[in-house]
Amino acid sequence: MSERVAVVVFPGTNSEDETLRALLAVGLDGELVHWSQPERLAQFDAFVLPGGFAYEDRIRAGAVAAHDAVMDPVIEAAQAGKFVLGICNGAQVLAEAGLVPGTGPLRRPTAAFAPNDSGRFQSVHVHVKLTVAPERVPILAGIEPNAVIPAWASHGDGRLAAPADELARIERDGHRAFVYCDRDGSEVPAPNGSALNAAALVNREGNVLAIMPHPERDAWTYQHLDVSRENARIETAAALAPSGGIRLFEHFARAVNGKVPA
Amino acid sequence: MTAVLDDALARGRRLGLALSDDELRRIAEHLGRVPTDTELFAFDAQWSEHCSYKSSREHLKKLPTEGPSVLLGVGEDAGIVRLGEWNGETYGIVVAHESHNHPSQVVPFEGAATGIGGIVRDVLCMGAEVIGVADPLRFGRLENEHCRYVAQQVVDGIAAYGNAIGVPNVGGDVFIDESFDDNVLVNVVALGLVKEKDIIHSRAPQGSAGWDIILVGKATDRSGFGGASFSSLTLDEEDAEANKGAVQVPDPFLKNVLMRATYAVFAQLRAQNVTAGFKDLGAGGLAGCSAELCAAGGMGAEVELERVSTAQRDLPPEVIAIGETQERLCWIVPPSFTPLLLSIYNETYSLPRIARGACAAVIGKVTETGRYVAKHHGETVMDVDLEFLTGGVRYSREYVLPSVRTESVAERDEAVRRAFPDAKQSPFDLLERILAHRDVGSRAPIFRRYDGVVRGCTAIPPGFADAGVLVPVPGAPLAVALGIGGNPRYGKVDPHRASVLAVAEAVAQVTAVGAAPVGLTDCLNFGDPTVPEQMGAFVAAVHGLAEAARALRIPFVSGNVSLYNRSSSGNHVAPSPIVSCIGTMADVSRAVTGAFKREGSVIGVVGVPQHAYGGSVLAEVTGMAAATLPEIDYERFARACRLVREGIARGLLLAVRDVSDGGILAAIAEMAVAASPNRTLGASLRHYDTIYDVDLWLADDVIPYTDMAVWFAEFPGFVCEMHDWDAFASLGRELGVKVHPVGETTAEPYLRADYRHEISLDQLREAWEAPLRDFYGSAA
Repeated sequence: MSERVAVVVFPGTNSEDETLRALLAVGLDGELVHWSQPERLAQFDAFVLPGGFAYEDRIRAGAVAAHDAVMDPVIEAAQAGKFVLGICNGAQVLAEAGLVPGTGPLRRPTAAFAPNDSGRFQSVHVHVKLTVAPERVPILAGIEPNAVIPAWASHGDGRLAAPADELARIERDGHRAFVYCDRDGSEVPAPNGSALNAAALVNREGNVLAIMPHPERDAWTYQHLDVSRENARIETAAALAPSGGIRLFEHFARAVNGKVPA
Repeated sequence: MTAVLDDALARGRRLGLALSDDELRRIAEHLGRVPTDTELFAFDAQWSEHCSYKSSREHLKKLPTEGPSVLLGVGEDAGIVRLGEWNGETYGIVVAHESHNHPSQVVPFEGAATGIGGIVRDVLCMGAEVIGVADPLRFGRLENEHCRYVAQQVVDGIAAYGNAIGVPNVGGDVFIDESFDDNVLVNVVALGLVKEKDIIHSRAPQGSAGWDIILVGKATDRSGFGGASFSSLTLDEEDAEANKGAVQVPDPFLKNVLMRATYAVFAQLRAQNVTAGFKDLGAGGLAGCSAELCAAGGMGAEVELERVSTAQRDLPPEVIAIGETQERLCWIVPPSFTPLLLSIYNETYSLPRIARGACAAVIGKVTETGRYVAKHHGETVMDVDLEFLTGGVRYSREYVLPSVRTESVAERDEAVRRAFPDAKQSPFDLLERILAHRDVGSRAPIFRRYDGVVRGCTAIPPGFADAGVLVPVPGAPLAVALGIGGNPRYGKVDPHRASVLAVAEAVAQVTAVGAAPVGLTDCLNFGDPTVPEQMGAFVAAVHGLAEAARALRIPFVSGNVSLYNRSSSGNHVAPSPIVSCIGTMADVSRAVTGAFKREGSVIGVVGVPQHAYGGSVLAEVTGMAAATLPEIDYERFARACRLVREGIARGLLLAVRDVSDGGILAAIAEMAVAASPNRTLGASLRHYDTIYDVDLWLADDVIPYTDMAVWFAEFPGFVCEMHDWDAFASLGRELGVKVHPVGETTAEPYLRADYRHEISLDQLREAWEAPLRDFYGSAA
């Protein structure tokens, strides 16, 4: 029996369905839980905060959601060592909740995802590379060193920003889990001007991961037909099969199911 | 009665209505009394051009609207075409197409955003999940400061709204022309997914007397009051400030929640097997929407306006009844279902917590009277016959069909010779200028501002191929493609032929990814219909659409007309029939993009180039005096499309682009540049003389002599990268279509021609990307 995963939906969330689909594809028992039902969350084993514009991103991206009552059980679970994955807006919420990098008090963020250096929302295809040792990210159990994962960076506020000493600590203590890279894994400048070229942050214990680009939007072969197409024929089943960004969810599933010792 | 008529006329003028004196008289005579203010505003909206199509309807009848792929034809808020079967269910694609031109000129951010907001509701109210949006945009010259402002704000408004509600943008197009300096065109297309058995109709169901009329969404306020008739007026500088109040205020955050709550209501209706009526509030507000719902079902309505949730106290009844506050929808459900519906919106999705005053509330009952009765604190403010109100008026406007200038072959040849004084010049110098043309340059800087991949169903995001492609049914290989055509430079030359070419372009775009065209929609953007030449351009364009759609056997399933796109200085927009084509594919694994895939492939052209340069990019860049638009041989074009589609389905083609602005060579350059994220691929082209080989081109006299111009000719056709030249050419022979090889792909970052000329892909990329990148900013 697979462990149960809650996909937490705030007012303004917009990526819950495809996030749930990716979780189901890797064999997890996932379910959407809406903001009006915080009492249901205690019974889940792991949590995913999907993308969108929770509470319209008023004040700062993710700020209001981080203070929503629905986050209380999520924060509690994170502190108890349960796995919590935030994608895009979910990553912003985790930063605003103080769960990543997790170096300060709760709900008093020490680092945040600030507006892109272009000042605008942008949607571009990217790759991200694991820059910490796999042991550092038990939430992605079994991930290989320097793993490269394709994803879409579709956000207006994805630029990691923090005071210089906090940025130094994020780098030194291995909180910067992923950086932007090309398909071969060579680091390339972030599309949003992110500090440390960071695409994702992880907490000290490695059970909370906040990743800005969306791996669930490049998670099926038909979403990247061009990469593999030099011969025109691709079998239908292969085109509909999960590949690419789904790998992040596969490692998450292994962690949640405890198949690989952390 | 004379006193009544005089009083009605005086009132109409005092209220600043767009209703004519004659229309006011008809209303007063029908009622036999002085109409109330609320009634006058209701007629003003309902009888506006925007709602009633009073000038256009008699002409629109000519469009073919039936075909085997149509699940629901013209008549409701959106049409529905068949996508395919999966797990024993028939799926349909809902498609709606509208304009939001006037609001976008006055307040571009809000106008464009509410354009998306409105079209999304049109699709939602058919019982569908909204799966995609697209915007055909027509901007004024970017040298003009106000046009720059409008062009930025429109894109920002579309991005802000579409991204927040989580509906992917699947494309659209952009043309820039001086005729849009005073009147921007912002068209919106939305797509939805619905099972055939789950379609909800925009009408009171049979036997629904006594059912509840429920208003859902934002609290009603003063915004958007008079929007329907405003959009049927000529824009005047002096009224700009006053007109701003007629534009609605967007709230994508509320809409995001409203959509999700509505999906939950759909699920409950299906679980309990309840039939309902559902319609969005657009032009004409609450009264317009609930009246049309009840009229369509042959019923009547009685509503109590004080039960409507309002943002301010003391809103006058006419504002509650007619105001066009955004983000509202109207349900008709049996009273037994009402408590569940209210609890989904108000409790599970907590609308009152999302926006002040937002909620679902019962505001009236369906009756059998055939009348629309509205009361406000017990006082009857509206009591009219529904058929009279919603039947509208009809006009047969005078029109003068446009005279189209013709040129002789000698004139045409002379024009071409003048444009190419040096036969030995490199085609690539000209190619750079063509790629940098405002209507050819890369649209990626705009597309990057839109979320094209939210929902996780996008197979081909905008800009990667001629059409965006979605895979909307999770687990199924069924795919839908959206193509859009409508070239204003053609519109100015010949509205009839421009319509034909717009249909061909939209069809060619979906064909280029491998999809079969199954339905068309149109938005007809024209000037003032009271000017006979403008009305004539409209009539000619409708004839063109009808001719092309009949010949290609593709029905129109929805559409919209936007007239009065004229500024106070008398500037009418270029005749702009904008056409979208829905294409479907049984198997997404076959879909191809427009990027070259590998070295050593033969590049071939399907279709026959013509020496017709009227309205072409080439003519504009070289200053060529050209007057003739490309012709289309429907039968031959349909065969060419079939060949391309078959070729893709059989895996014989690796990449396809349709030949449009800038011609064959621009398409080849774009295919090479587009390959770069994955691989470096250039092309080596044969000498342009050789492409006139009479054996290879069909034996016709369309190309009487050799010259370079043909590389830039715009015609209904395709450029293909072939996986298997022999097999594809032989398939072509089978289908009676010639395929002409024009070069090969290479592993070098250059285009080369004739062993003499070359240009680097970096140079081409820079030329192609610079125009809009410099304006919209680069993103990575």
